Amino acid sequence: MNEAVFIGFVGLGLAVTLHILFTAMTLGTGLIAAYYRWLAYRKNDAWSELFARKAFKVLIVSELFSGVWGTIITVFLAGFFTALTTLATNALFIPIAIAIASIMVRIPTIAISWYTWGKIHPKTHSLIMWVMALSGFGIPFGFRAIFAEINNPVAVGYYLQTGNNPGFMPYENPLFWTLYLHTVAAVISTGGFVAASLMSLEKDPKGISTALKIGFLVLMAQLSLGPLYWLSLSWYAPLLFNSVNTTFGPLFAIKLVAVATLFILGLQAYRKIKAGAAAPGYVKWLGPLALFIVVAGEVLNDGSHYPYMVIAGEKGLPATLFANFYMDIPMGAVYVILAFFIFSVVVFTTAAFYALYRRFLAEVPQAE
Amino acid sequence: MPNPNLLRPLSALGVYFHGVYISLTFGLPVAIGVMLWKWWRTGDKVYYRAARLMTAVLAVNFALGAITGTLVEFGLVQIWPGVNLAIATFAFVPLALELIAFSNEIAFLILFIVTLGRVRPPVSIAILAAYAGFAYLSGVLITTVNSWMQAPWGVGPVAKALYPFMPEYGPNVVDVQKLVALKLAAVATGSPISLIIEKPGFAETVGIVLKDPNVALYSPYALVSMFHNILAAILIGMAVATAGWAYKYFKTGNEEYLKIVKPLAGAFAVIFVIQAPIVAHFMGEMVVEYNPTKFALMEGAVTTFNDPIIALVAYGDPNKPIVGFDQFEKACLSHGNATVGDLAKTLGIPTVLQLAGQTVDLNGIASLKLSDLCLADLQKAMSYMPLVHTTYYVKVAFAIIGGLAAAVLLFYFYKVPGLSSLAAAIARILGDERRRVFILALLLVLGTVIPAVGGWAVREIGRKPWTVYGLLYPSEVVTPVPYATSPGFLAVTYLVILAVNLGGLFAMYLVATREYKFLELLKRGAGVEKSESKVGA
Repeated sequence: MNEAVFIGFVGLGLAVTLHILFTAMTLGTGLIAAYYRWLAYRKNDAWSELFARKAFKVLIVSELFSGVWGTIITVFLAGFFTALTTLATNALFIPIAIAIASIMVRIPTIAISWYTWGKIHPKTHSLIMWVMALSGFGIPFGFRAIFAEINNPVAVGYYLQTGNNPGFMPYENPLFWTLYLHTVAAVISTGGFVAASLMSLEKDPKGISTALKIGFLVLMAQLSLGPLYWLSLSWYAPLLFNSVNTTFGPLFAIKLVAVATLFILGLQAYRKIKAGAAAPGYVKWLGPLALFIVVAGEVLNDGSHYPYMVIAGEKGLPATLFANFYMDIPMGAVYVILAFFIFSVVVFTTAAFYALYRRFLAEVPQAE
Repeated sequence: MPNPNLLRPLSALGVYFHGVYISLTFGLPVAIGVMLWKWWRTGDKVYYRAARLMTAVLAVNFALGAITGTLVEFGLVQIWPGVNLAIATFAFVPLALELIAFSNEIAFLILFIVTLGRVRPPVSIAILAAYAGFAYLSGVLITTVNSWMQAPWGVGPVAKALYPFMPEYGPNVVDVQKLVALKLAAVATGSPISLIIEKPGFAETVGIVLKDPNVALYSPYALVSMFHNILAAILIGMAVATAGWAYKYFKTGNEEYLKIVKPLAGAFAVIFVIQAPIVAHFMGEMVVEYNPTKFALMEGAVTTFNDPIIALVAYGDPNKPIVGFDQFEKACLSHGNATVGDLAKTLGIPTVLQLAGQTVDLNGIASLKLSDLCLADLQKAMSYMPLVHTTYYVKVAFAIIGGLAAAVLLFYFYKVPGLSSLAAAIARILGDERRRVFILALLLVLGTVIPAVGGWAVREIGRKPWTVYGLLYPSEVVTPVPYATSPGFLAVTYLVILAVNLGGLFAMYLVATREYKFLELLKRGAGVEKSESKVGA
């Protein structure tokens, strides 16, 4: 694999991983925020509204930055892997359209929810919050179809062989459903643990308990959905399955240890709190641990393709088949760009630190 | 294949909504910066509160800008997948560099929002400046891509070879044979080029098409466009902000709002002076040189004619004739009897192409006369003349209105002997103190928004019938997906776009105008004492 193809592959992987990291954080916390905002309105419960507001801070801080990595993915795909992008847009038109429509609803409703909080009637505001939360799940419903297809090209294969557009066929791909369900459970569970970490910083025992319960219970569901996805890879993408369990085996093992750790610590903490004891100090690290698991999972799912871009049963199609050879890609510029990505992560992390850890982002809006 | 004419309005809708938000994204930082500066220098909290409110609007606006940008980008790739070839070549560098701008723009915006009021004003101003800098860089690079589509820099004489009335576009850094072969394949098959470039292994087989990846950055058309577009966007954002505060003054009579309007009006005037008479002039020169059909459409030049004023502005020479379509037609006829087959032979392109495993026979189009193709495209271009010509002059008229309003407002607030008396006299015509300030501010909005909308319409429609001027048609880059133009898909798409954007604009209005009325529960939860609550702005 030449330098451009390799760097394109790595850059794409970096962008996907960061995008999924932020998405995992925000999808789950968004759902939690919407539910408790609604509960606050229905029961006139002060604590619920504050809890919703605190959980929502994660979204208002990170959603836009999450979105930028989606754009980076697009440019890397189109620039480095032109054929793959063109093929995807032509063959997977409907999933991509669903994802775009969901993005269009999701991102503005996050900003609108935050900045109209307290300015519009709680009933209306709660409705907007639900739209915000649920539209988020439409995005992976679209994009995970692409991931499933590069692992098991049901729709794309049909398209290339017949020239006919496959329409909704991507959703007949078994890998889509196992991956999507795995993703949904992962993001809700992660959202719970992230919220628990945040509540730990806020020293809110009720908040910790509530968030931990969500994170832990959904993690229980993951104990079957995760293995199901893993098994489905052995059925529909054996080449990838083999790579995950051999070349990437050590990382897979680390991930499993992390999951076990999260499970045990989560259970312990939850039990202690239910028994009336103070929350253990390690609760604030459960969110980062959950996010680490997400990252590890994404690296496994994507990195284990190397050196192939598309897996078709026992065969792999090299990334070079889909790569851009129309010009010599200026790698110097690409390295500069990657460096600036790191810089932007530093700036963003600084902002997130001040907003969430130093609590610069106020729960109660200042009168303006 | 889908009719591209059904998809163009959809793309335009996305682009225009995006343009609305971009204008505020570019203009509000200046307005906010002015407020922070005043707050820093005077200690007056009125300016700080104004900065906070505009920041809230900016945040919602930015989210809407981000998703319409996503829509435009994904839409470009999904609805017009043939542009992937441009993204893989000419547009690669500006789009890749734009990622620097976009990622850091967002990061600094979040940092600014989070720290506003928590750090000293100079620090906030510095963070805001970093955000604005990256935002403008983003605009520069996106404009570079658009400019390439207007003036395809780096293809040298290729367009001229087909359309003799066109200039050469910079140096020739393309493999002409491959480029023309791909074009001819699209013409011969009647199929979009995405069906060719999507084939695995095709790119590797073709090899190098573009020899200088950075060429789009060198375009003089891009250089002028970036200033023109960004300054126009800033002016709209400033005008909207000024009008917003002027409206509050009109509604309440509160002098505090007048304090906010004054420095905004001053900043607006300074920027307007740079944009309208200077940058716009150079933009016009670029159009004259590189988009001959567009300029003829703008001036309604069916035939060549003389007009000293227009010629002076356009060429710097009042005696030079305004070149019309009659001259372009003569240029087309200079092809004589040359055919597509002759062109292919000259370039060494075989009559039967092997592309991505499929055979493309060029014999079917070999006998087509180049002059006929050229004339046919001129006819298509000319069909847009009434629209482009009218739009252009409406744009000019409103720009003049905007300029006059800016001058009156400036000298109304900043006393200059003579000019201020004249400004005051004009303002009195508009009614009482509160009304006249608001009306003048509204005229700023009209005088910037309409020229920008009109300007973009001229820029894009004037490019027709090409998607890439002189090189590619919409039908060659459109999606091959059959249901992309189905009534159902179009209806759902329009519905989503309109609902999200109109809803978003309404939400921005609410954020800008509503007081906090429903914070009681949140305050109780946070343990904030009732006595600490504040009333209104």
